[in-house]
Amino acid sequence: MAAKKAGPENLKLAAVLDLNEASVLHGKLISMRGSDIVLDASDVDRVGVQCAQVLVAGARAWKEDKKSFVVEKASDAFEKTMQLIGINIDNLVAKEI
Amino acid sequence: MDMNEIKEIFFQECEEQLAELESGLLKLNDGDRDPETVNAVFRAVHSIKGGAGAFGLDDLVAFAHVFETTLDCVRSGKLEPGQDVLKVMLKSADVLADLVSASRDGGSVDESRTRGLVKELEALAHGELPSASGHDAPKPAAKPAPAAAPAPKAETPKPTDDSGFQPIPFTFDGFGEEEEPVIEGSTYEVVFKPRRELYSKGNEAALLLRDLSRVGEMSIACDTDALLDLDKMDPEESYFSWKISVKTTKSEDDIRVVFEFAEWDCDLEVKFADEASSDEEQPMRPVPFDLSILDDAPSAEDEDKQAEHGSDQTVAEAVSAAETATSIAKAAGAAARAAERKESAAAAAAAAQNNAAAAAASAGQTIRVDLDRVDRLINLVGELVINQAMLSQSVIENDATGTSSINMGLEELQQLTREIQDSVMAIRAQPVKPVFQRMSRIVREVADMVGKQIRLVTEGENTEVDKTVIDKLAEPLTHMIRNAVDHGIESPEKREAAGKNPEGTIKLTAKHRSGRILIELQDDGAGINRERVRQKAIDNDIIAADANLSDDEIDNLIFMAGFSTADKISDISGRGVGMDVVKRSIQALGGRISISSRPGFGSTFTMSLPLTLAVLDGMVVTVAGQTLVVPLTAIVETLQPEASAIHSFGASQRLISIRNSFCPLVDVGRVLNYRSTQANPVEGVALLVESEGGGQRALMVDAIQGQRQVVIKSLEANYTHVPGIAAATILGDGRVALILDVDAVVAASRGQSLRPEMSLAATG
Repeated sequence: MAAKKAGPENLKLAAVLDLNEASVLHGKLISMRGSDIVLDASDVDRVGVQCAQVLVAGARAWKEDKKSFVVEKASDAFEKTMQLIGINIDNLVAKEI
Repeated sequence: MDMNEIKEIFFQECEEQLAELESGLLKLNDGDRDPETVNAVFRAVHSIKGGAGAFGLDDLVAFAHVFETTLDCVRSGKLEPGQDVLKVMLKSADVLADLVSASRDGGSVDESRTRGLVKELEALAHGELPSASGHDAPKPAAKPAPAAAPAPKAETPKPTDDSGFQPIPFTFDGFGEEEEPVIEGSTYEVVFKPRRELYSKGNEAALLLRDLSRVGEMSIACDTDALLDLDKMDPEESYFSWKISVKTTKSEDDIRVVFEFAEWDCDLEVKFADEASSDEEQPMRPVPFDLSILDDAPSAEDEDKQAEHGSDQTVAEAVSAAETATSIAKAAGAAARAAERKESAAAAAAAAQNNAAAAAASAGQTIRVDLDRVDRLINLVGELVINQAMLSQSVIENDATGTSSINMGLEELQQLTREIQDSVMAIRAQPVKPVFQRMSRIVREVADMVGKQIRLVTEGENTEVDKTVIDKLAEPLTHMIRNAVDHGIESPEKREAAGKNPEGTIKLTAKHRSGRILIELQDDGAGINRERVRQKAIDNDIIAADANLSDDEIDNLIFMAGFSTADKISDISGRGVGMDVVKRSIQALGGRISISSRPGFGSTFTMSLPLTLAVLDGMVVTVAGQTLVVPLTAIVETLQPEASAIHSFGASQRLISIRNSFCPLVDVGRVLNYRSTQANPVEGVALLVESEGGGQRALMVDAIQGQRQVVIKSLEANYTHVPGIAAATILGDGRVALILDVDAVVAASRGQSLRPEMSLAATG
């Protein structure tokens, strides 16, 4: 998925972000490197720590690339699990520079 | 599930943990230094402590706590598990087992022994090795108070900032009666660093954190420093770790129990801390986190709080609290909710919940079933087998032509019945390990008592046998082990004088052999003093003074009833205490016992027991008009003797020549006193059998009726023991047939006649 010029890319997060999803998510993020990205977390029911790791690493990478990495429509489960595991959603979201 | 049921499960688990503990300690004793073994041992004690705490079994908790602490020192490498240390540990395992039994069945334990061991364990934890003379180790400041619950460490350790798990050695200064376990609102520092395995085994750190948040008010800081760059990271690796501060009225154990089943796949540190120090030294700012996050419908107040926390979140702005009020429950999952319901029942729920999680995670699942239910099933299957045999028989009788479809149906039924039976029997099959493990304790205790050094080596403890057999095996085996320690193995001085290792060895082995289980108990002691045994037998009128007995026969005299009075012969260097009782127990199980002994090299007891007490494949034969069943496992072959093959030998013995070798011919009808004269071998059939002591015999019967699976009905339970007969069964036509005890018959044919007063078999 090459970077498109028009607007940020969208990535809809799976409902279950568990161990199995971690590699999938990792692969998707790597393929989307270089363009602004909007993650749709509205359907997320469950977040495992390993997916959270991938997301945090993604946020850092995007920050490094000076691209925006925004989580939109975070579901309650997503938000609360992140809070539970001590990930400030702020750190995850690299604001647009 | 009421409290008692949960408690019952706890005790069942205790049994398993104790077995685990003992086998682990024995492995360590044998020089195994695998960290996993130490972990397993620690885990066993820890689990017992955790469960006991939930049920308020304070004595158990207190002892387990001390034990666990010492084990922790071993785990962290502070204490080398040498022989002396392990001796204390093994004794402690025994006391722990006693405490568990006392908690379950009531009764009391030897308190002075417990106290002594607590002292020894504490001394070990303080790095003092046990003195050879005993345990006069300096006592720590506080008296061990059995009633004290697991106490948090009194002095506050500095929070460690390294990520490696440093088990914290406890001091026992705080382990006194003056200390209350937890002060209202204590704060604990938890450092939790999951390893990759934690995730790969299906555990989820987020769920553990969620459970932890239920213990008390929690602040958390996630350490993400270890996280690699996106392109370098392995998505399945574990990078995050957490520092958590939990303010709770519960104990440290309640915190640890959250991680109980993940503890081996993570680095975990739980420390008691006062708030001031913890706040200062926290390198990361904890994110306040409140419990309501896990509720199905967070209250408005909670939502407000969360909104506060997230006031500067760009994303959170997009999400209104109202539209997201429901979904966390999904994240928690149904299991969590089920567990939550249980929580009201007891503090045990924490353990139960973890149990459930662990059970769900592991592939090989088991259920606990009341033995009575299995027994009922087995009885029913037994009836089914009999019924099926009856049905076959009546079909054959009523329909001589036998249409093929009926015959095929019957055959299928027969096969199905057999499969059901095998499967049901497999349910009851259990490894002999628990019994063997009990023996190691007996060896330790008796050896201690008589001042000998003895090592118990077990082999084949995973050999499976019917549970009834296992249950009934413990008693005779205990007896024999006691004898072996007390009389079999010599004192260290004597052993040294004889050029032996001062440490004696008792070897206990189990193996399957021709459809039976063979259990051998071997010692490297002095062997049987035949002179004295013989003399004793003469003195007790068991044998005539001029009896000419082989060594084997003398050895086997110890199983005679007259040999059982302990005080008379306990000074015999051989054996003899109550061996007749042992023999009776073994016989009651349908088994046999024999002994072989080499003076100076020790003795070997061999027990042969049936794998199951429920069914057997047998050959149905006729002897003097009676129907008998011969266990198929004993039969090597059957043959029709020819007159030319029969040879007389001595006055009454006869031999049969089979493929150029001679084999004694045993007239079963004669041995069992069914008839007074010898039958003509040519008119009958010879069954070539292999007997326990090795060697073949040809059993002569009148005719073979067929081969059948029969359901064993105990004669002992319903009538009385009959020499030469192992049990009875019900045949397809409803008649009772006796099952032949081949070895007893063979032995009888060798001249050790079935005892005359017991020749009731003739009328059976």
